[in-house]
Amino acid sequence: MSNVIVCFKWVKAEDDLRIDPATLAVDLSKAKGKISDYDRNAIEAARIASESAGSETIALTFGSNDAKTALKDALSRGPKQAFWVNDVSAENADGFVTANMLAAAIRKIGSYSLIVCGEGAADTYAHQVGPRIGALLDIPVISFVKEMRIEGSRLYAVRKLEDSLEQVEADLPAVVTVLPEINPAPIPGLKAVLEGGKKPVTEFKIQDLDLEDGDTSRKTDVVSFKGCSMSRKKILINEGDAKEKVTALVAALKKEGVL
Amino acid sequence: MSGEDKFDVIIIGAGPAGTACAYTLAKEGKNVLVIERGTAAGSKNVTGGRFYTYALDLVEPGLWEDAALERKVTHEQIMMMAGEQSITIDYSNPAFNKSGEMPQSFTILRAVFDEWFASKAEEQGAVIACGIKVDGLIEEAGRITGVKAGGDEMFADLVIAADGVNSMIARQAGLVPELSDKTIGVGVKEIIELPAKTIEERFHLKSGEGASLLMLGCTEGIHGGGFLYTNNESISLGCVFTPSEAASHGRQVHDIFQDLKMHPSIYPLIEGGKTVEYGAHLVREEGYRGIPKKLYRDGLMVIGEAAGFVLNIGYTIRGIDLAIVSGVAAARAVISGKNPGPAYFEELNNIKLLPSMKAVDGYFDLLEIHRLYETYPKVASGVFNKMYSISGETPVSIKKGIWGVLKDNKVSLWQLVKDGIRGYRSI
Repeated sequence: MSNVIVCFKWVKAEDDLRIDPATLAVDLSKAKGKISDYDRNAIEAARIASESAGSETIALTFGSNDAKTALKDALSRGPKQAFWVNDVSAENADGFVTANMLAAAIRKIGSYSLIVCGEGAADTYAHQVGPRIGALLDIPVISFVKEMRIEGSRLYAVRKLEDSLEQVEADLPAVVTVLPEINPAPIPGLKAVLEGGKKPVTEFKIQDLDLEDGDTSRKTDVVSFKGCSMSRKKILINEGDAKEKVTALVAALKKEGVL
Repeated sequence: MSGEDKFDVIIIGAGPAGTACAYTLAKEGKNVLVIERGTAAGSKNVTGGRFYTYALDLVEPGLWEDAALERKVTHEQIMMMAGEQSITIDYSNPAFNKSGEMPQSFTILRAVFDEWFASKAEEQGAVIACGIKVDGLIEEAGRITGVKAGGDEMFADLVIAADGVNSMIARQAGLVPELSDKTIGVGVKEIIELPAKTIEERFHLKSGEGASLLMLGCTEGIHGGGFLYTNNESISLGCVFTPSEAASHGRQVHDIFQDLKMHPSIYPLIEGGKTVEYGAHLVREEGYRGIPKKLYRDGLMVIGEAAGFVLNIGYTIRGIDLAIVSGVAAARAVISGKNPGPAYFEELNNIKLLPSMKAVDGYFDLLEIHRLYETYPKVASGVFNKMYSISGETPVSIKKGIWGVLKDNKVSLWQLVKDGIRGYRSI
């Protein structure tokens, strides 16, 4: 079997986002980057899949200069090498643009049998990129994957749907978008981290890729980007004995419609 | 062991000591690995936030110009508090900050500074592995030969422990005993965000200038004190307590600290600010006498606060500069190629770290005077109260007033003389 390519996204850490309580404007300037949470599970899933099939895992990302740290992190999680489409436009690309970039990079990498993506990104959670890559490369897409195994050139997967599990098969090459429960994402150890820093990274610029006019123009426009702040009712029940307090609490919860 | 698993030096901890050491060694072509437990250098550190610039110049002349520093300290302040009263001394000396010369001291935010400093060491060729906890040392025939982390083992000619105040490594190696509650302080700190302009107005600063304020009498009589440093767009405000006294005091240190924030002399400085970070940490309090007898054994060296290089002498608190200097001393010892143990000791003397700490060793005794933390601030405010109270009534003479204040605070002349002599001897 040939390469397993895992796509990952470098996102802003949500803990570092700051929301202005008055205007709800979101300040990203102090936010550090991280590999999108589900993509860490995806990287491990790709590593396991390629290990079982005796092939090589390749990590691929579309990101600005900021994503450089991500490559070391991703490589310490098992992939043998990484490819990086480096362009500043990644910072506000939509699923359409990102999928175009990644698919073009995958074509350039050439040999692949499986492409693994996280089900959704930690920031947008739009579920766009994986299916779009499948369409662009004209190969099957299996989404919401919670289990998978490869036998020869056939992929067997279990999809987690709203109220049922669905078993599906497809011929490779294929794209899978995996749920975080597919496997844990272990924290890399010392040797893995050191090795991650030494593995090869190939950088592509947009002009290196075989793209068509319009491939780099986003299809969706972000009209506004605002924080969501929940205002609390601040009801304090502190009068009377325990029984009275409980009665008051139950009455208050009923009034709010939560009971 | 293969070549891949072996370094010249492994440093545990990417704080100022470890990073300064790594920088100096890597610059001389040594193969250095720094292992940091936090996800990034600086992420596990809490400090007041003041730094003396000379130390960075020892690492590399001019390096400070590029450093992630906040404000150069132009105002040195000491505040004595008693209840709602306070007395402040403000010292400024333009000679500390002559234009065109290296300013003497800066306020810093460690999360920012440490990450910058680590990136500089990386540029010199040091390998920095973050997010990894060292579980222990590898010892072979009495010699430390490497470290264990998770399931991995990594070897080196020398391991350097730069793992901070509560150094598990130095303890495991038998160089440092368990910390005693008498010799450490527990610090709590908040970083409170305010616009740069507001900070400059409130502290009477020009752009880029900063104030350092140490407080006495804000700990409800517990051995300890407060500190405030102005950063570019935030204020670091904190308090340090002796844990044994704090434990028997009855109130949580956090609550005493909240009271300090509401003090009429402090609140106007932080009013309208937003607390963006809260941290607590241990700090060594013993100064020179807290430095372990041995900072080296075969294959292992201890630097930074792990080795006790912290100074609290009441009017200044130093740690980051001493940490850096000790890291440089250790690196120079390694580079010299001499027997590392004695060479390290020699370098610590050459670089003036041990002599500087020894010179102010007596302050520990001065700071042991318990009346310093409540009684004397009260006495001082009492005297000022007598001086400045004007009500139209016939005033008592100042002399008489002072006696009255001493009596109110149950301080005898004998105690005053004794503390005076003790204080004078200490300094």
